[in-house]
Amino acid sequence: MAGTAGTAKNQPMFIRPPTSFPGKPWLWLAPYIAIGIFAVAMFAVTAMLQWRELDTARSALEADMHWAERTIENRLHQHQDFLGELGREQEFRQLDYEGFQVKTARYVRDNPDLQAIIWVNTEGKVEWVAPNEGTDTFVGEQLEGIRLHALQEALRIRRELYSPDYPDVAQKRVHDLIQPVQRASSDLGAFIAMQSLEMLLRTSLPTSFTTRYNLTLVDAGNRELLSNTSVKPTERELSGTISLDLPNNRLGLNIVAYRSGGPWFQYLPALMIGLLTLIATATLVQLRRHAQHRADAEEELRAAYAFRQAMSNSLITGMRAIDLEGRITFVNAAFCRMTGFNERELIGLKPPYPYWPPEEFEQLQHNIDTALAGQAPASGYEMRIMRKNGERFDVRLYFSPLIDTAGRQIGWMASMNDITEPKRARVELERAHERFVTVIDGLDSAVHVADVDSGEILFANRAFQNIFGYNTLGRDSALVTAACRPAPEALEADPLVLSAEQLPYELFDGEIQHALSGRWYHVHERVIRWVDGRAVRVQVAADITEHKHIEEVNLQQQKRLEQTSRLITMGEMASSLAHELNQPLSAIANYCAGCIKRMQAGNYRFEDLLSAMQKAADQAERAGKIIRRMRDMVKKGDPKRLPIALDEIIDEARAFADIEAQRNSTQIQVDMADDLPRIVVDRIMIEQVLLNLVKNAIEAMSDVPVERRRLTISAHEVDGRMLEIAVTDQGHGIDEADAERIFAPFYTTKAEGMGIGLAICRSMIEFHQGRLWLENRREGGTVFRFTVPCEATGEADGESSDE
Amino acid sequence: MSEPSQTIYVVDDDEAMRDSLTWLLEGEGYRVVCFDSAEHFLLARRDEMRGCLVLDVRMPEMSGLELHEKLDSLGSQMPIIFVTGHGDVPMAVSALQRGACDFIEKPFSDEDLLSRIRRALELDCELATQRERSHALSHRIEQLTQREREVMQLVVAGKLNKQIADELAISMKTVEAHRARVMEKMGVRTLAELVKAVMSLS
Repeated sequence: MAGTAGTAKNQPMFIRPPTSFPGKPWLWLAPYIAIGIFAVAMFAVTAMLQWRELDTARSALEADMHWAERTIENRLHQHQDFLGELGREQEFRQLDYEGFQVKTARYVRDNPDLQAIIWVNTEGKVEWVAPNEGTDTFVGEQLEGIRLHALQEALRIRRELYSPDYPDVAQKRVHDLIQPVQRASSDLGAFIAMQSLEMLLRTSLPTSFTTRYNLTLVDAGNRELLSNTSVKPTERELSGTISLDLPNNRLGLNIVAYRSGGPWFQYLPALMIGLLTLIATATLVQLRRHAQHRADAEEELRAAYAFRQAMSNSLITGMRAIDLEGRITFVNAAFCRMTGFNERELIGLKPPYPYWPPEEFEQLQHNIDTALAGQAPASGYEMRIMRKNGERFDVRLYFSPLIDTAGRQIGWMASMNDITEPKRARVELERAHERFVTVIDGLDSAVHVADVDSGEILFANRAFQNIFGYNTLGRDSALVTAACRPAPEALEADPLVLSAEQLPYELFDGEIQHALSGRWYHVHERVIRWVDGRAVRVQVAADITEHKHIEEVNLQQQKRLEQTSRLITMGEMASSLAHELNQPLSAIANYCAGCIKRMQAGNYRFEDLLSAMQKAADQAERAGKIIRRMRDMVKKGDPKRLPIALDEIIDEARAFADIEAQRNSTQIQVDMADDLPRIVVDRIMIEQVLLNLVKNAIEAMSDVPVERRRLTISAHEVDGRMLEIAVTDQGHGIDEADAERIFAPFYTTKAEGMGIGLAICRSMIEFHQGRLWLENRREGGTVFRFTVPCEATGEADGESSDE
Repeated sequence: MSEPSQTIYVVDDDEAMRDSLTWLLEGEGYRVVCFDSAEHFLLARRDEMRGCLVLDVRMPEMSGLELHEKLDSLGSQMPIIFVTGHGDVPMAVSALQRGACDFIEKPFSDEDLLSRIRRALELDCELATQRERSHALSHRIEQLTQREREVMQLVVAGKLNKQIADELAISMKTVEAHRARVMEKMGVRTLAELVKAVMSLS
């Protein structure tokens, strides 16, 4: 197992590459120079050896040549001596034929270079031949040619001489040694020894000599006569020439030493050296190339290592290698960062690791066991581990087998991601989605999203499912919502032909009744770009059935309220009307009673009575007017909107309000332009509103000093369509808090009164598309303003502006 | 019938009412003076005015009730006939509770009004007599010495002579003398009369 760990440590991945050499290129020249020097030295040695060998050979050759010269000369002198001896014997008649035969035959036998020795007379006629069994020369034969010429020369000079060589019957080169013999001063003849040059060389020089040298005989003219071999040496470096000075002739012997081992032999060492040098150089080059390659590989490895180191350090993923036993063999910087332990603290540790929180021991031990068993899930382990400072955090750990170069598994590589943040983000996302779903599901409105092309429902909230059924996802929206769907012709555009630039596009906004349930929905539909890019229809359908119902009820209620309001207003008015009526009635009664009394008493003046009766009549008329106004007020019927001058309404309202105003000694001031257009209203309604506001204003001023009790009614035109009428008092004003509430039904600031007034007023004005509001004046008091439509300027027909 | 010094004062903001009332009352022989507002009446009022006030309850600025209160505070005892319209009844009742003399609701018959006016004028006469009498009484009391007034108060409080003597640290005889002089100066003969006179003053 230790071996396994060792193998693991030898993982290339974890080995630091050798540090880079400093570059020294000259270092690489040294071997080349050494090889060069070696080669030169070897060449020199070889040359020296060769030279020495040549020198030795030349010395041997010279010695041999000297020796050969002496040997050949000795033999020639011996022959000369023998012939000289024969000559002397002949001269002194001591020699006969027999004696010649014996003596000469023995001598020729001993000297194979001599073919024969003959005795010729002075004319060159052969007389004696020894040995007589020889076939070259026969007795009686006549010498001729150069032989005879040589004989005559010898006889003439009376000294031995050698003839030029000539070919014998066997075509061998032969020359004659001629010894002339004289007696007294007459020539007797001459002894001639026929000497074979080839045999001369062969017999005078030993075989050991002849085999070593190429010998060539040349004559005086330096013509080549014979050679001991037919092989011509190419090298003539070791050669020499022996000159044999023969009487009347000259023989040269050229000696050329044979070279042992052939002509190329001397170059072999140099060749070998050159070859070796080449091999050495080539090897060196290869070595250099290999080294370079190695260096490059190392450089690459270093770069790769640095790259991987940087990568490993920059990784936010923690990397941890363990061997098959779980011993940590490698951790990267991120892992150390994450756990807070440094590399030295972790390398070599076996489970349990120091970054295991105690409470998670069991789970983590189980995880590491299954991982070591090779059963780690592909999705990795999600686990909680502990930093050195005790802080816990969540990680995800992925295991993958660690394989060495030989393909054996040597451990497990684990990558560790801090998922605290992703997990938190995921939880956040889930929560956000949950919130989104909760919100969307919590909506009362039915929301659904459908693909424009296929109609497939991509999303539907709970309200939608409650209305249109469950499991609608993926179904065709057109079928699911058939009962409550805007008609295609009601859509703003055909959603299928909308281009991407037009999105989002409002498709529909309106109210639709559900065909089956009868409920009303406010449907808002638009085409938008869905999260995956395609165009979808988003429909929001809000149930407005209740709302519609309430609206209807409200409408009815308002009608009733208006009716009630009329009655209430009438009731309120009844007392003031009664008072108002009482006034003229009482006056009439007084006048009448006064008249009656006077007439009964009889003391009256006619003029007085007439005057009183006229006054009574005036009062009766006054009463009549009051009655008529009241009748107008109570007149029933639907509101009729007709063009009417504002002054008329103001006058009538004032007539009613005057009672109240007088009672509160309030001045009513009307401030309006003369050329105001007529207003298109139900006169009773507006009169009521105005009266109500005037009465309120009067009441508002009941507790201010009399001189301030001034009420102003003013009117002006707004943007040509509406008239704005303002009722301004100088009373106590209205609290901000009350400013809106006073328009609510049954709200009142008055001790008496039902508080129905302003609410009704507002609904009456709103019935005319107008507004009713109030403003507090800075100088005190309140302005109630309302707008009512006026007749379009320049149009005589009032109905056209009745809207 | 009315005394010649008595006048009917009419305060009404409605001109027709003032005019017709004048016509009616003058027909009956009364002296009528009209005011169109309470303020104007107040300006013209004198303590020695005799008669009655016909007052409209509803008037701008100072109402009839306010005028009534004002007159009360001024010590006027002139009888008032409130003229009310329909629906003013509760107000009139509260006015009556405060001692107004009468009220009449519009529209009224002339006899109704006249009888009330007569009653009011009678009341005015009675009040005038009463005023004279108490005026005389108070004049008598002013003639009492300090000691006599102290004795009189104790007598009226029902104390015996002996108790009075103890309280004032004077003798019984002196008490009796003071008492006799008080009876004399006050013009009464019995203790009961004295008590009645003092009570009417207070």
